[in-house]
Amino acid sequence: MLSKLKETLLCLRPGKVTLPYPAQAQPTPENFRGVPRWNGDKCIGCAGCASNCSARAILVTDICQEIRVLNYIGNRCTYCGRCAEVCPEKAITMSRDFEQATNDVADLRQRLELFMSTCQRCGRCFKISDVLEQLKMPGYRFDDFEQARWVCRSRSFFEGDPLVDDIRIELD
Amino acid sequence: MIARQLFILLKDGFGQAIKRADLASDQRLFIFVEPAALKGICYYLFRRYDARYVLTMGADDRPYSGNFLVAHNFALDRDHLLFSVLAYLPSDNPEVETISDVVPAASWGEREMWDLVGIRPVGHRYLKRLVLPDGWPEGVHPLRKDVPWNHVPEAFDSRREFTFDEPPEGCTVVPFGPFHPTLDEPAHFRLYVEGEFVRGCEYRGFMAHRGIEKLAESVMGYDDIPMLAERICGICGCVHSVAYAQAVESAAAITPPRRAEFIRTIMLELERLHSHLLWVGLACHVLGFDTLFMHAFRIREPVMRIAEKISGNRKTYSLCVIGGVRCDISLELQLELRSVLEKLEEEWKAVVAAVSGDRNIQRRTRGVGVADPALVKDSAAVGPVARAAGVDIDCRRDHPYAAYSRVSLEVITEQDGDVWSRLLVRMKEVFQSTRIIRQCLEKMEAGPLQAAIEEELPAARMGLSSVEAPRGESHHFIVTGENNRPRRWRVRAPTYQNLQAVPTMIKDQRIADMTISLASIDPCFSCTDRLETIDVHSGTLKVWTQEELLRATQSARSAARGENA
Amino acid sequence: MIASVTAGLLNVVMVLLVSPFLHGLQRKIVARIQARQGPPLWQPYYDLLKLAGKEDIEVGEVPAMQRFAAYLALAVVLTIAFVLPMGTAAPGASIGDAIMLVYLLTLMGICTILAGLAAGSTYSLVGISREMMSMVTLEPLFAVAVLIAGLHVGSLHLDLVLKGGVYAVAGIPWSGLAMLALMLLAFQAFVQRIPFDTSEAETELIEGPLMEYSGPKLALFKYAQMAKLVVFAALFIGLFAPWSGTSNLLIAWLVFWLKVVVLMLFVTAIAALHARYRIDQAIRYFVVMDIASLGALVVAAYGH
Repeated sequence: MLSKLKETLLCLRPGKVTLPYPAQAQPTPENFRGVPRWNGDKCIGCAGCASNCSARAILVTDICQEIRVLNYIGNRCTYCGRCAEVCPEKAITMSRDFEQATNDVADLRQRLELFMSTCQRCGRCFKISDVLEQLKMPGYRFDDFEQARWVCRSRSFFEGDPLVDDIRIELD
Repeated sequence: MIARQLFILLKDGFGQAIKRADLASDQRLFIFVEPAALKGICYYLFRRYDARYVLTMGADDRPYSGNFLVAHNFALDRDHLLFSVLAYLPSDNPEVETISDVVPAASWGEREMWDLVGIRPVGHRYLKRLVLPDGWPEGVHPLRKDVPWNHVPEAFDSRREFTFDEPPEGCTVVPFGPFHPTLDEPAHFRLYVEGEFVRGCEYRGFMAHRGIEKLAESVMGYDDIPMLAERICGICGCVHSVAYAQAVESAAAITPPRRAEFIRTIMLELERLHSHLLWVGLACHVLGFDTLFMHAFRIREPVMRIAEKISGNRKTYSLCVIGGVRCDISLELQLELRSVLEKLEEEWKAVVAAVSGDRNIQRRTRGVGVADPALVKDSAAVGPVARAAGVDIDCRRDHPYAAYSRVSLEVITEQDGDVWSRLLVRMKEVFQSTRIIRQCLEKMEAGPLQAAIEEELPAARMGLSSVEAPRGESHHFIVTGENNRPRRWRVRAPTYQNLQAVPTMIKDQRIADMTISLASIDPCFSCTDRLETIDVHSGTLKVWTQEELLRATQSARSAARGENA
Repeated sequence: MIASVTAGLLNVVMVLLVSPFLHGLQRKIVARIQARQGPPLWQPYYDLLKLAGKEDIEVGEVPAMQRFAAYLALAVVLTIAFVLPMGTAAPGASIGDAIMLVYLLTLMGICTILAGLAAGSTYSLVGISREMMSMVTLEPLFAVAVLIAGLHVGSLHLDLVLKGGVYAVAGIPWSGLAMLALMLLAFQAFVQRIPFDTSEAETELIEGPLMEYSGPKLALFKYAQMAKLVVFAALFIGLFAPWSGTSNLLIAWLVFWLKVVVLMLFVTAIAALHARYRIDQAIRYFVVMDIASLGALVVAAYGH
């Protein structure tokens, strides 16, 4: 009986601890590992994140000599943060988002298309950092932002080729 | 006694049967013996020398040595020894004599060995399917190296059912699971009930089997595996990732820096705190006492939040890499951790005082689900189940790892072996954990977080690691390999052994007590069922069969993708 | 006649309207004891509406019996509500006497047993065996209380029995007080709340007898359970605490419902702070009380 009274006191002291989530947003701590976000301006296309991803959720492919595509497939991502840890340019930040439930799987994906120019001496790809410089190079036109499609490949700029839409790579 | 002395002892006793020994350190020994002598040596160690049985592992070593490998691991806790008795089996006839008649606890290990690797334990009295689903075809053993990790067997028979034994006379069958409000994970206990009393029980589990060991061998790398390991269990994730990292470090002779060891210890104890608090709440819920359930969870919440602040996630800390840890505990986080511990201790003292005097709870838990020391030895039960029966084992003291050799801890034991004793053990261990965390915070040394690893890890080395999870000893066995991944990784979670004690614990008890007896071992079925992933398409059409459900989900998935393209 | 029928109908309407609200109040109080917010006060109404709107899937061995049991459960509870005095004179006094009341209460227990039998699954059968054991040991308590009241007032007329009939002796009503204490201790079991809800233990028997019920039939049973609390409270108040201190009808009626709320708070507090007892422990508890009640009966026979 006495123990029940002690338990009653225990119970009544804390008051109400229910948080008003989701009516009100709940803050996440500073180093919370949410969805990784890529910053296309800083990324140099080294694919370090892809080699270190534990879930093999980052895929990097070269679709032609100058264009490297980085695809992040968030379905299997474990939010471990190794990609952000290893990135030499700090282009990946682990955001504080965790509310990822969606009907559209495209919401979980991030895609970067990186224009890699070739070094004149060794011929290897590197990315030109300045957007204005990029615009000066032939073949760089990014007209269709909604569909995120390349309007034309580098040579077709000169040859007047129509829209090329087979570049989209279906993964998983 | 150190490893060398054990080796000499065995050599004196078994002479010619011992072919090779690896004395990895003073506390680790790997003995390679003739297959025919395996049973005799295991019997000698288990019964005459009173070693504790830990695990049985089968491995396909054919690409490297041309043979299969079978290993039985034992522990001599008083001497701080973990050792493995191994034998190579010819690849055309992988058979070995069963040890389950002398070591009853090896029953599941051998069934798993047969299911997954195809090594037959000759003379096993209950060689039924353990891990693989009932419809899996014979002769396809997933952990063999010639079976790819994403293999889908065509001959899968979805209509085949598990054949249970006949119920004893006069008993009706009460199916418990796979769906039941008390069970968090699917498992099937087939209870044979006479009136209100349980006379027998048969278990069919491994429904949450995911193919973790095969994935680790085939597609992951050394540093990827801790992310996988911490998802073996929904509560003791840190335990598995630390155990794996330690096993590899022991195999490759890497020493993590001191600060990393302290951080690992702190996170392990934080995990023990939240697990025990969760368990007390759950046990009260099973008993119908929802109020204490809610309060235990309320008291537990600050632990989850501080873990989130330190590591970035409430439960999957993503903490370990080979050679160290990935996150640090800053000074302000240390201060916050101290205040969380203080508040927790204060509230928990009040709860323990209230519950200890509560006759209502005691009436439901005393004398229920009793496991005496003989059952603990025979089924090799570990953790609070063993300690509540008076068996004094705890890996933190017996096989010290991380920073446990530098802190003082007291091992809590009780004598009665019933559910009430387990409740008391877990409640008191909460205070031990807070004590250990405080000691770690005081003794924490400055330094790097990861050991510098300059070269590729050497192949064909073996490593053992035992970590005290909240449920008991979690044991990992690693054989390092090429291509930056292990050749074989065997995980034995504590529930694997504790579950084997359950049928005896619930015998001759009432049905009503069955749920609390099961809950009292703190079962973590996900930890237990860690192996091969099954992803099956089948053609037969039948209402509400597995493939109907599967086809429904497949078509929903492709419809979603179709809309998307 | 008209007055009693009106009073009876008023009882039924009040029970139908108020019992989900009282159930919601219970859930809110339990939630506050558990340091959480709890569902909205009107949640039981939403629950019943939602269940009534669901597809009526029939599983179980004898679906016709399941349907019958569901309708019978609510019907019996409402009938008892009709006959009991809830702030007015007993409307059922002209229909029957205390024996009829005992039968109706037993019928209420039988509904659950019918439900479980009709479902025919292992867990529901275990549930009804527990329910039967509880009924056998619990009903006598109430029967003895009615009998004692009848002994004292010399008749089984509902109006006399349920107006504090147990106290109707000269001097200190020992038997009445003894029965009051025993019924207070057993009240939790009559309304099937923790620690005595063994027949429907969710965590052990997956709802027991009600396991194969879903949708509208489950709504009927849930309603019957919510109403049971009010009806038993009315019974208890009629037997042991019927005074209202005034002859003003409206105030007497309000005082009655206030007493029901007090009783409900008592039940809730105990339910929130206890673990569930096993069936054998519960039966032992009830048997002890049965023996004590027989002692009270003997004392009553001697005129005390």
